[in-house]
Amino acid sequence: MNNPIPLINLKEGEKAIIVSITCEVDVTQRLIDMGLIPGTEITVIKSAFFGPIEISVRSSKLAVGRGIAAKILVKRK
Amino acid sequence: MEKKLNIALAGNMNVGKSVIFNSLTGLHQHIGNWPGKTVEKAEGTLHYKGYTIDVIDLPGIYSLSTFSIEELISRDYIAVEKPDLVINVVDASVLERNLFFTLQLLELEIPLIMALNQVDLAKKWGITINYRKLQKLLGIPVIPTIAVRDMGIYELINMAIRIAEGKRKIRFLKLKYGKEVETRIKKIAKLLKGISVKYPIRYVAIKLLEGDKEIKKIVTKINPKIVKIVEKYKKEIEDIHGHSCSTLITSERYEVASKIVRKVQKLTPHKKPSLEDQLHAITTHKIWGYPIMFALLAAMFFTVFSFGDFFSTLLTDVFVMMTSTLEIICGSGIAGKLIFSIIEGLVAGITVILPYILPFYIILGILEDSGYLSRIAFLMDVAMHKIGLHGKAFIPMMLGYGCNVPACLACRIMETQRERLIAIFVTTLVPCAAVTTIVLGLVGRFVGIGWAFLLYVINLIIIFILGRVAFKFFPGEPVGLIMEMHSYRKPHIKTTAKQTWFRIKDFIYIALPLIIASSFFIKILEITNLLNPIANLMRPITVGWLGLPTIVGIILIFGILRKELTLVILATLLGTTNFSLILTPIQMIVFSLVTMLYIPCIATIAALIKELGWKKALLITLFEIIFAIFVGGIMFRLLTLIF
Repeated sequence: MNNPIPLINLKEGEKAIIVSITCEVDVTQRLIDMGLIPGTEITVIKSAFFGPIEISVRSSKLAVGRGIAAKILVKRK
Repeated sequence: MEKKLNIALAGNMNVGKSVIFNSLTGLHQHIGNWPGKTVEKAEGTLHYKGYTIDVIDLPGIYSLSTFSIEELISRDYIAVEKPDLVINVVDASVLERNLFFTLQLLELEIPLIMALNQVDLAKKWGITINYRKLQKLLGIPVIPTIAVRDMGIYELINMAIRIAEGKRKIRFLKLKYGKEVETRIKKIAKLLKGISVKYPIRYVAIKLLEGDKEIKKIVTKINPKIVKIVEKYKKEIEDIHGHSCSTLITSERYEVASKIVRKVQKLTPHKKPSLEDQLHAITTHKIWGYPIMFALLAAMFFTVFSFGDFFSTLLTDVFVMMTSTLEIICGSGIAGKLIFSIIEGLVAGITVILPYILPFYIILGILEDSGYLSRIAFLMDVAMHKIGLHGKAFIPMMLGYGCNVPACLACRIMETQRERLIAIFVTTLVPCAAVTTIVLGLVGRFVGIGWAFLLYVINLIIIFILGRVAFKFFPGEPVGLIMEMHSYRKPHIKTTAKQTWFRIKDFIYIALPLIIASSFFIKILEITNLLNPIANLMRPITVGWLGLPTIVGIILIFGILRKELTLVILATLLGTTNFSLILTPIQMIVFSLVTMLYIPCIATIAALIKELGWKKALLITLFEIIFAIFVGGIMFRLLTLIF
């Protein structure tokens, strides 16, 4: 039941663990450089039905576009 | 004897690096480009304790991989130019991510000092850092600073000198990776022994495992066999861990960073959301965020242009008084007229910079430094995606409403060449302050403010459509938004002033000389009586297609050279400032629309060449001229049906 889901499916305030990132190599590298490494806990700060998603990761806040957020797979906590 | 010292500042974006750079070097700065790159290079000097210290402000980056040109430049500078010392500026409130970068700097094996900046803000968020412990763990000096209040700057520079004089030794922290990775790093390092590269051997070994393209290229040239062996090792590691080798190495670095953070950082969570948090929540709200943004931007435009109009009239009056005497002095001879045209050009430039562009950029600078511009980028991401760009591209577009020249240069914030090209293209379609004075002075005054507003809406629609076409036209995947959201903060006056100055400087250094030169050139055309024949040549377009008076053809040429003078020249040529006597409302609207779309002025063309090269600059310019005339003609025909 706790299958990996894309980050955009999370609601505001939900916590999750990053499972994998399936973006192209350069974008993936940038995301993991920003601390979005598989196993890392994140909290969704903002997520609407459109627009970027704002998450908190390793005490920094990050906005990622929806296209990218759809390719970040997470497990709900 | 004079002693020299080279220092480089390195760190993440928005950690206060430029503030430290400014307090170190003051006004002794030189902003240029990295050779052959469109990345800004900021250098400065200071004299202290008998030392001449050259400081270089490296671009703000998050990593030393080669994801972006900025990262490559920084890495090469540190490894090849080998500054005596690197100051790593760190945001104390986001220690873990900043440490991740510090650890990479340490791998380059250069003398390093950490400036633990914004300790005051960190404290506000309930974060205290034991910097002495951090110092011990990292093996490098750590100095707490509050750059915006100049605190810790002397300590930084004193420490730099102590290190240079060998009074303080640095013990590099050797970052140890997990067993699987570590043994392979050692094996690769052994293979690399004796090979001469500009980077430390261990660093090359790590980077090879990470799949760094640049390093791979270098090593392949020397010994392709090594690269093959590395590929085998990578495969082995990936089989064991199930993640790519680069992910694994990055995550191990983060693990070390997070371990250090746990040892040195104390958190006292605050329950009540702070004012900054509340502001952030409302300004990025999915519904309220938008009206707030529109209201703020509208207020900004209204203030700038109503104040500008008042101030500009005042300024022009003063200048007219002054220049009329100068005109008499210059005399009516050809030489005198030419000299006077230079003065005229200068005056025209000033009456655009001071009343419009300067206040516009000051307000924008304040919004930027406070953090609001990144909220706008956040809100506009959806809309910008439709034209293949992400939210950050909206920032140069807004700058474009002041002057297209700094706006084109600001498109450098876009990550890829393709994104940059599209962003620059749409930015040149944004009506600058000079165009706005035309639209307001012509349509706004004589046809109605509603029509002027409509023109702006039409312009936005056109930008959107053309942006979409460009997006489809240039092949490639659009890059998504990845942006750090910093907390709101009080804008720092010095930083804002500096930023504004750099943007204005783009105008003064690129646009102003061209405005003056064009003024000179137009005068020559006038003296040699070439203006009328040219206008006659253009009749099929101006009169036939656009339905404008013949004389306006001259203005369209002027428009390329000197947009801001359009109205003045129009008045001179028509012999009146009451344009409604000579131009019909339709003609005014068509003329304004053509001016809005048609060609970035010559200064913008120069900026285009600088950023994109001749070919693309020419292509954009030609396209926009043809397109503006095309749309103008259609507008003329449509309006004839209405009026």
